[in-house]
Amino acid sequence: MSWNCHRILFLFSRLILGCVFIYACFDKILHPAEFSKAVYNYQILPDVLINLTAIVLPWLELVLGVVFIIGIWMPGAVVMSTLLLTMFTGVLLFNLARGLDISCGCFSTSALESSTNIWTVLQHGSFWALAVYLLYIIYFSRNCDALRPKT
Amino acid sequence: MATGRAFERIGTLEGKPLENVTKTIMKKIGNRILVKTLWQILVILAIGAGLGLISNALRPDSLQLIGDWSAESRITTATGEHLIISLSEAEKLFTEDAAIFIDARSNEDFKNGHIAGAKSLPWQDVDRLFMKVTEDISSDMTIITYCDGKTCKLSHDLALFLLDIGFKHVRVLVNGWTVWQESGLPVEGR
Repeated sequence: MSWNCHRILFLFSRLILGCVFIYACFDKILHPAEFSKAVYNYQILPDVLINLTAIVLPWLELVLGVVFIIGIWMPGAVVMSTLLLTMFTGVLLFNLARGLDISCGCFSTSALESSTNIWTVLQHGSFWALAVYLLYIIYFSRNCDALRPKT
Repeated sequence: MATGRAFERIGTLEGKPLENVTKTIMKKIGNRILVKTLWQILVILAIGAGLGLISNALRPDSLQLIGDWSAESRITTATGEHLIISLSEAEKLFTEDAAIFIDARSNEDFKNGHIAGAKSLPWQDVDRLFMKVTEDISSDMTIITYCDGKTCKLSHDLALFLLDIGFKHVRVLVNGWTVWQESGLPVEGR
């Protein structure tokens, strides 16, 4: 792939992930109690971490979204988002495998949000792929030095 | 070329082969990126956690940092009235024939096995089936709903629904199907 293609793809991946993180955090920030129930329903975290996760995670997503859109602190943001999206996708797959019928809580805290299904997993998988692409460009691509952010 | 030669000379002067010098430089660059990544992660985490904790402290409906997620605190009515019934109480009512048991699990699970004499009212079909299932139950009768698993919500949702439509004494037997079987109490089904 040419350098120009990488430059455009890098920019788009960064902006898409930024928008996704910001969109995902809004409802959770507005309704932390509902989000804590969604976290509880996953039955993965110990009780002591449920509220703390519901309080901090949406703001972390907001910070990541803003950082991606502005384009600063990219190495850290890319590593964090890759880890987060790996965790989210893994948790969705795990719950799908054990047949837990719960709403995703990914973009909305409403109980009416559709249950986790294979499309939810694929959606998160595609975001994860974008994050991994950014990770590759920043850390492993020797031909795209100019794309690496200065910060 | 000149830089390459100078570089080679430095490597030679220090008594190390060129390969080792290049590796050292690459290692230093790698370490620098790693350190940069780590501090950026820490800053992002700190800002996110700080904003989350401050906004939570400022909002009127703030969450407790460590919440109580026990069944007793979760399974309540909107006014905070506890709905849980213990296994021994449920067993007593069963023996005295003083309560109706309603299974909130799917019809398939119900057919595979249920508390003896229980009625099936799957939560996902509640709107369609509740009239038929509850037509012969008096509103003063004690109803005990149950499903399976400590975190199963179906019995709680069903209990709230039954209270909402006018039944006065509705209780929830948490993890009902499992605890009932484990205690060797009467069951029916395949």
